[in-house]
Amino acid sequence: MQQSQEKIGIREYIAIITIMIATKVTDDTPILFFDTLDTAGWIAPFFNALIVVIPLIFLMKVVTRYNKGLIEIIDGLFGKYLGFLLLFIIWFISISALIIDTAIYTDIIGTMYFIRTPTIIIYGLIMAVCAYGAKRGFAQIGSAAWVVYPYLQVSLLFVFILTLSDSNLSFIHPIFGPGPIEIVKESTFTLSIYADFLYLFLIVPFIKDIHVFKKGTWAGFIIVIINVGIAFLLFLLLFDYQSLKMVNYPFHEVIRYIDTGFLTNMESFFLPFWAIASFIRFTVYIWINALLFGHLFKIKQFEYVIPSIATLIVFIGILPESPTYAIFELRKTLFQFTTPIFFFLPILIWIVAKLKGDFSNDDNNN
Amino acid sequence: MMTTITKSISLFAMLVFLSGCWDQVELEGRAYVVGLGMDKIDDETNQIRITFLISNPEFGSLAEGGGGDEPPQEIISFVANDMESAKDVANMVVAKQVTYDLLRVLFISEEFAKDPEFIRWMYDLTKSKEIRRDIRLVVSKEKASTFIQNINPLLESRPHEYFEKIFERLNATGIAPTSDLLKFFRITESDADLFLSIYGTSLQKNNSGSVQNPLNITAGEFQYEGMTSPIQFAGAAVFKEGKMIGTITTRETRLAYLLNPTLPIKDILTAYPDPFSEDHKLAIRVEKQGKVKTKMDLKKEVPSIDVSLPLAVEVLSNHSMVDYPKEAEKREQLKKHLDDEITKVFEDFIKKTQEEYGTEPFGWSLEARKHFRTLPEFEKFDWMKTYPNMDINVDISIRFSNFGRQGEVPKLEELRD
Repeated sequence: MQQSQEKIGIREYIAIITIMIATKVTDDTPILFFDTLDTAGWIAPFFNALIVVIPLIFLMKVVTRYNKGLIEIIDGLFGKYLGFLLLFIIWFISISALIIDTAIYTDIIGTMYFIRTPTIIIYGLIMAVCAYGAKRGFAQIGSAAWVVYPYLQVSLLFVFILTLSDSNLSFIHPIFGPGPIEIVKESTFTLSIYADFLYLFLIVPFIKDIHVFKKGTWAGFIIVIINVGIAFLLFLLLFDYQSLKMVNYPFHEVIRYIDTGFLTNMESFFLPFWAIASFIRFTVYIWINALLFGHLFKIKQFEYVIPSIATLIVFIGILPESPTYAIFELRKTLFQFTTPIFFFLPILIWIVAKLKGDFSNDDNNN
Repeated sequence: MMTTITKSISLFAMLVFLSGCWDQVELEGRAYVVGLGMDKIDDETNQIRITFLISNPEFGSLAEGGGGDEPPQEIISFVANDMESAKDVANMVVAKQVTYDLLRVLFISEEFAKDPEFIRWMYDLTKSKEIRRDIRLVVSKEKASTFIQNINPLLESRPHEYFEKIFERLNATGIAPTSDLLKFFRITESDADLFLSIYGTSLQKNNSGSVQNPLNITAGEFQYEGMTSPIQFAGAAVFKEGKMIGTITTRETRLAYLLNPTLPIKDILTAYPDPFSEDHKLAIRVEKQGKVKTKMDLKKEVPSIDVSLPLAVEVLSNHSMVDYPKEAEKREQLKKHLDDEITKVFEDFIKKTQEEYGTEPFGWSLEARKHFRTLPEFEKFDWMKTYPNMDINVDISIRFSNFGRQGEVPKLEELRD
């Protein structure tokens, strides 16, 4: 694997995490939560975070022990065939998620902003930008993420503040929505909102050192939870749960509703920030995907695969008919399918490592 | 660092592409609908009459150029299947591409709003890609097409400007409710409260001789003369479950404002009978002091609501010429009188909501949700069913702030001596 590039520091790493995962609040992810949890939908991101800490701790233990990326660790622990199978599953989930997510973002742009522009043009442009970015290498993605991150965070904060002035706190009642037991049950199905943290463990070799990785992951985790939690809460406080469930893309509905007194039609102000966040998000995804692909099929210069993957994504992503519904269903299925893998794989890895005796006091390992 | 900059620039360059050749339309090439009217057609359930109020963007702008003599607006009214396809139909007459991008107000005739089919057309608005949820809903007493054709403000000649200004004033004074689409859908979908919409008309009711209290009327009853706009807005149209069921007066609208914790209002100017003189009225400024406290006991057999509303009252007129500054006793008397009067008005209105409408416009169901831990419990409680039988008490506490700029008035007997 080509690892000659410079590695990224903690700032860039945190920026990447936040953009990669917190951007999810702007698509239809919130609806997945509110559909079943009603007024308690905003609790789920916090509750999920509590559960997600478990696999993250296990993974963190393994990764710090070996001081290697997850790819090498899985290869080392599970051997050639099983390791290949596991990584292939991860890759497959990653590419499915990528196709589904890019299709959704294309749909958002197509239905909310550029109504007459053909889907393939929007899709093609998004993927062209992302493929170009990804091709430039991880270090550059990192610095781009860091450059734009403060602006994105400020614009999101601005949305939060404007929404707050129109919100009504009574909408969070009844506080337990469908009931406490339902919350626990339903939120375990939606764990995979944080599943992307799994991918972060693949890129350990590209982070400056393991301590930076450890600190950055936890810091990013907290920033993501705060952003996602607040956004969910504010969606609820603006729409109330019944209306929120019917909206396709709450974030975009919100930025069309809010105004700053004399300025109406604010969405054209927020659109560029959101677009940039989405570009960076998919750039990271596509790069990680190519990294995995390169490892699986022994392609050293994996970055040359990126344009082909991007093209593939466009052609598959454009297939579903009436994407808003079709993809929503696909996504729900993927969400439920990923959740157990995300939860149990780290524990499995840890157990295997433990059984192999790699956690004993010796300082050398395979 | 150079690469970062080039990268950012290239990202922005891509945005330029995204602004799109397909979706690019010149300002000049578009007809901006700022007001949309919807009317029912007699004996026809699958078609409606659509009225477009199209604003002229060139009118009144500094760079007028050649367009100086153009009127500020254009109105077209026709039968259509729905508001989306109407955009293309209108092009048989309107020369530009019709768009709802700048739509600010939706006018619905009372007749159409009372139709059970009405809600079907409302949901078209959530489908349209150009319509946002902050547009206002206005119910017109007559046909919306007539109403729109009569919109002709004299001083704010650009229609969207006129709407913006008058709605701002209507909300600040509490004469008409804030009614936007977001609220309409939210309240309709939560299926518990009443939705209040702005109520207006362009037809003055013929004066039947009796002079009405202008603070307790609905649109059409306000008698005025002069050279001004024929449009008046007063009171509110009441919607229950997405269907209009009646109207309330300006006074009742203001009561709803005062009781509803979700509606913001600073102060209202109003008039009440003077306790010391039957012929006169007392002008007062009522200000909500702090928050309305709504205490609910919903577990009882007959659930009860206790509302305590602290009000600051400023007495602005004194036609009975009572010497309030010197006579503390009279002030107490006045306070008690106002307390009784206002409480009675509140109680009457609440009774009306219980008996006539079966639910309330005060947002109390939201308050009630706080008393339930889970949604199934709340749904079992069934707000709309329980509300009419509830035991509701209003407790008003008045604090006099002052008695106008000058407190003293001369003694009338001495003056006329």
